[in-house]
Amino acid sequence: MPASFLDRESTVAPLDYDRFLVPPAALAVHLSIGQAYAFSTFNLPLTKLIGISHSAPDDWKLTDVGWTFSIAIAILGLSAAVFGRWVERVGPRKSMFTAALCFGGGFIVAAVGIHFHELWLLYLGYGVLGGCGLGIGYISPVSTLIKWFPDRPGMATGMAIMGFGGGALIAAPLSVLLMEHFKTATSNGVLETFVTMGVIYFMFMMIGVYAVRVPATGWKPPGWIAPAKPRPLVTEAHVAVDVAWRTPQFWLLWGVLCMNVTAGIGVLGQASPMIQEIFSGRVTAAAAAGFVGLISLFNMGGRFVWATISDYIGRRNTYLVFFGLGILLYSSVPSLGHLGSIPLFVAAFAVILSMYGGGFATIPAYLRDIFGTMHVGAIHGRLLTAWSVAGVLGPVLVNYIRQYQIDSGVPKAQAYSVTMYIMCALLLVGLLCNLGMRPVGEKHHHLAATPTS
Amino acid sequence: MKARSVVLWLAVGVPLLWGVMKTLQNAFKLFH
Repeated sequence: MPASFLDRESTVAPLDYDRFLVPPAALAVHLSIGQAYAFSTFNLPLTKLIGISHSAPDDWKLTDVGWTFSIAIAILGLSAAVFGRWVERVGPRKSMFTAALCFGGGFIVAAVGIHFHELWLLYLGYGVLGGCGLGIGYISPVSTLIKWFPDRPGMATGMAIMGFGGGALIAAPLSVLLMEHFKTATSNGVLETFVTMGVIYFMFMMIGVYAVRVPATGWKPPGWIAPAKPRPLVTEAHVAVDVAWRTPQFWLLWGVLCMNVTAGIGVLGQASPMIQEIFSGRVTAAAAAGFVGLISLFNMGGRFVWATISDYIGRRNTYLVFFGLGILLYSSVPSLGHLGSIPLFVAAFAVILSMYGGGFATIPAYLRDIFGTMHVGAIHGRLLTAWSVAGVLGPVLVNYIRQYQIDSGVPKAQAYSVTMYIMCALLLVGLLCNLGMRPVGEKHHHLAATPTS
Repeated sequence: MKARSVVLWLAVGVPLLWGVMKTLQNAFKLFH
């Protein structure tokens, strides 16, 4: 493959290019890296590599294996922040190709770790190398889509980021199928599944590498005219990434994302035990797994639906709905538990998780509104550190408060009530951050704004 | 261009629909 194929110049589209060819390219990458959310399907099999049907004394412990996912998510945020500027400079094709190499290669290195039973190689492969693939892959199509869809940036990025939510829905049953297929008397099939998935995901991401294009400089959608009077909180100026992250607006948006994700990720991680404990004796483990699947669907759908709605009602209003409705729903959960209404409880969490996904998907368009398109991908990368923090904060809050409540003698069915009220407090902080959003001062605008195509 | 668009959307749409279908099959257990 000639090196020039990967360069930004090779990806500039002809003027008559159909822009709806670009979202599937982004989806190919996001559907692949979204596999990370389904990593837990490997947790138990990875603790039975020696014992096959049971955990042998020399097998890895579940707590050790669990670190793999945490490392991958932490590296996702870090690599998005560190490589954001590079992604902007080299363009989407080279960055998607790098993400495919890292993510696919991460599976292969992890498979070597499984073969030699070296835990550090699993961490290095899936956690560090795969985590870099996650971070670079996550941000690589974002600014390209925003430039292709100046009329509907929310819908465009929502479509791609929906893929990250949908990736787990594909990966979970695929992993189970592959492990069943490769299972033998001497292997539980994890090693072969890792190698196969590494190859499959590399090839699938290459669809995105081949299909992605950037618009030519000055390109506009046919018939579209930029609004003469800009909407409130939508700038036509540009702010450089090194300036943006020093503005209060960046940190307010960091707070908005962090609070929205903390509240959602906390319940997402505990959804299965939570519904079983609140409706003790009425919800089986299998039904609880169905509940997790259902709210994952709403997490995915919310990414597209809410981000699209944000194009019509504005970004700040969308987050006002997330935080306002979120506070109302979280505070009603204890009452719904007391009422014993499973359908209402499920409906409340379906809406909550749709707004969790919507928060992820709407943030790139919010960044574009506040900081312009010039460095939006790099700024988005830095903002994703909020995800890393929320990824630790959310589960810790939910788990520790629940345990504290149970240790204090509160029945399990009521152990989540305080947690829900704490989530409301977090959402209130997010609401205040969102209400504090103002346009970036002109002194921060990039004077020689020549956004790359 | 149209054919290319259809192929691309099918390439990402079919796996996604398969995942959604599998998830819905599990989700229905909640109400049975």
